[in-house]
Amino acid sequence: MATVLDVQDIGISFGNNHVLKSLSLELKESEVLGVIGPNGAGKTVMLNILTGIMRPTKGQILFQGENITNLSTTERCRKGIGRTFQVPRPFEKMTVFENILVGSVYGDRKSEKEARVKALEIMELIGLTEKKGWFAGKLGLLDRKRLEIGRALASNPKVLLFDEVAGGLTESEVSDILGMVRMVKEQGISVIWIEHVLKTMREGTDRVLCIAEGRNVICGIPEEVMRSKEVHDVYLGADEE
Amino acid sequence: MIQLLASKPFKILNIKIIVLILIISIFLTLPLWSSEYIISVFVLIFLYMSLGQMWNLLAGYTGLVSLGQQIFIGLGGYSLAVITVLYQLPIALGIIVGGVISILFALIISQPIFKMRGDYFTIGTWIVAECLAVFFSVWTYVRGGLGFNIIAAYKLSTTDIYYMAVAMGLGSIALVYFLLRTKIGLALMAMRDNESAAETLGVELYKTKLKVFLIAAFVTGLTGGLLYLSIAYIQPRASFSITWTVAMVFIVIIGGIGTIEGPILGAFFFILIKQYLYNYPGISMIILGTVAILTILIAPKGIVGTLQERYGFEILSIRRR
Repeated sequence: MATVLDVQDIGISFGNNHVLKSLSLELKESEVLGVIGPNGAGKTVMLNILTGIMRPTKGQILFQGENITNLSTTERCRKGIGRTFQVPRPFEKMTVFENILVGSVYGDRKSEKEARVKALEIMELIGLTEKKGWFAGKLGLLDRKRLEIGRALASNPKVLLFDEVAGGLTESEVSDILGMVRMVKEQGISVIWIEHVLKTMREGTDRVLCIAEGRNVICGIPEEVMRSKEVHDVYLGADEE
Repeated sequence: MIQLLASKPFKILNIKIIVLILIISIFLTLPLWSSEYIISVFVLIFLYMSLGQMWNLLAGYTGLVSLGQQIFIGLGGYSLAVITVLYQLPIALGIIVGGVISILFALIISQPIFKMRGDYFTIGTWIVAECLAVFFSVWTYVRGGLGFNIIAAYKLSTTDIYYMAVAMGLGSIALVYFLLRTKIGLALMAMRDNESAAETLGVELYKTKLKVFLIAAFVTGLTGGLLYLSIAYIQPRASFSITWTVAMVFIVIIGGIGTIEGPILGAFFFILIKQYLYNYPGISMIILGTVAILTILIAPKGIVGTLQERYGFEILSIRRR
C-alpha cells in the first residue's frame, strides 16, 4: 500500500515550551491509524499542524509525495485533508443539509447543484436524512459528531483526522461511531484517529501510535501496543494489569 | 397541477408575494397621496435601511464589527459635493464616483486593517475615520472645515430624492438576499457560525471577508451620496462622525443581527423614534440608548431574531432546502 501522509520529525515550540519535540508517522492508503497518549502529549497540536492551523517549527509533512508544510488550511482541505474537532463545531444556525453543502461546495469545489446531490448521499451514509432541515445547533452530541464526519466527507478527503470522535458517548453510540469509521475506511479514505476510548482503538484501527511528551513512544498492531510496557509506563499506568 | 397550487407551501408563497407586491406598491405611490414631511421621513428610512443592511452584512454575517463605516458616507458625500460643486458635473456621476472611491479606499485600507482582529479591527476602522475627518478639515481642495453647500441638490424635488432612496433601500435588501443565496452566502453563514471550522472545510476567510468589505463600502458610499443629496450641506466633522455607525449598530441590534428583515424593521424604529424625539435633543440619545440596552436584555437577538427563534418566522428566507 502506498504512503498517503508522511510526517517527518515535526516539532513546535511556544517560547521555551516545546509542545511537540519530534514526531514522525506514516499513514498508508485506506489505513486507520489510532493515536493515544496522556493529556498534554501533543495529540491535538499534531492535528492542528497537519491541517495547517499551526505551523511546525521543524520537520516537514509530505502528502502524496508533495511537501505541504507551508500550505494554508484551505489549500490542505482542497488537497484532501479533512478533520473533525474534539468539541464538535457545527454551523449552528445552518441546517444539517447546509452544513454538508459547505464541505462539498468549498472543500470539493463542486457547483451547488452537484453539491446538493452529494449532500443527500452523505446524509444517507451518516444517518441524518430525517434531520435534513434541522438547525445543527439543535442536534444532540452523537448527531453533531455524525454531522462533523459527514461535513468532512463532503469535502472529498483522502485523509480524515478524527479528534476524539467517540469521546463523551455511550457504549452503543461508540459502536455507531465505529461503524462510521469502518464505512469511511471502505471508501478508501485513510484515517488518523486520536482517542481515549481504548475499545475503539482495539476494534477500529489497523495500527496504534502512542505519543508522550511530544515524541513517538511506540507504534504497531493495537493489541501489541496496548500490552507494551512503554504504553503502560507513559499512558495506562503500571497497575493496569 | 391544481393540487400542487393548492398545497400549503404554495399558498404561503402566494400570500408572501401578494403582501410583497402590496408593500412595494404603497412605497412606489407614496408621493402621490402623502405629505412632503412623510416623504422626507421615508427618504431617511430607506437610506438608513441600506446602511443597516450593509453593517449587518459585515458584522452579522462576516464577523467584521466595523465602527468606521462613516468613512464611506463621508467619501460618498464629498464625492457628490466635489463633482457637482467644483466640476459642475451631473449628480448621478457624483454618486457613482462616491461608490467607486469608497471601494478603492476600502481596498487600500483592507491590507493593514485586516491584519487586526476582533476589537483591534473595530478600533482600527474608527481610527481611520477620525484620521479622514482631521485630514478633510485641513484639505484646502475640499474647502477644509468650511465644507460645501451642495447646490445641485436644490434642483431635485423631495419626490426625486425619495425614489432614489427607495431604489437604494430596496436594492440593498435585494443585494444582500441574492448574495446570501450564492456560494459566497454559504461561506458567510458558515464563517458567522464558526470561522475555524469553515476554514478547515475550504472556505477562504480573507478573500471572502475582503469581497464583503468592498461590497459594503461601495453601497455605503452610494448611500452616503444620497444622504448628502437630501442634507445638501457637507462638512468634515459631521460627515466622518461615528454617529452614523452608531445609528447602524442601533438599527441592526434593535431589528436583529444576522437577519435580512432585522435592519428593515430597525430602520423604521430608529427614524420614527428619532423624528418623535426631534424636539428633545438633550434626551433623545439617552432614550435611544435605553431602548438599545432594554432590547439587548429582553431580546438579545433583536426583534426579528427573537421572533424567528420562537416562531420560525422568516419572510426573506435564505434557507437551502
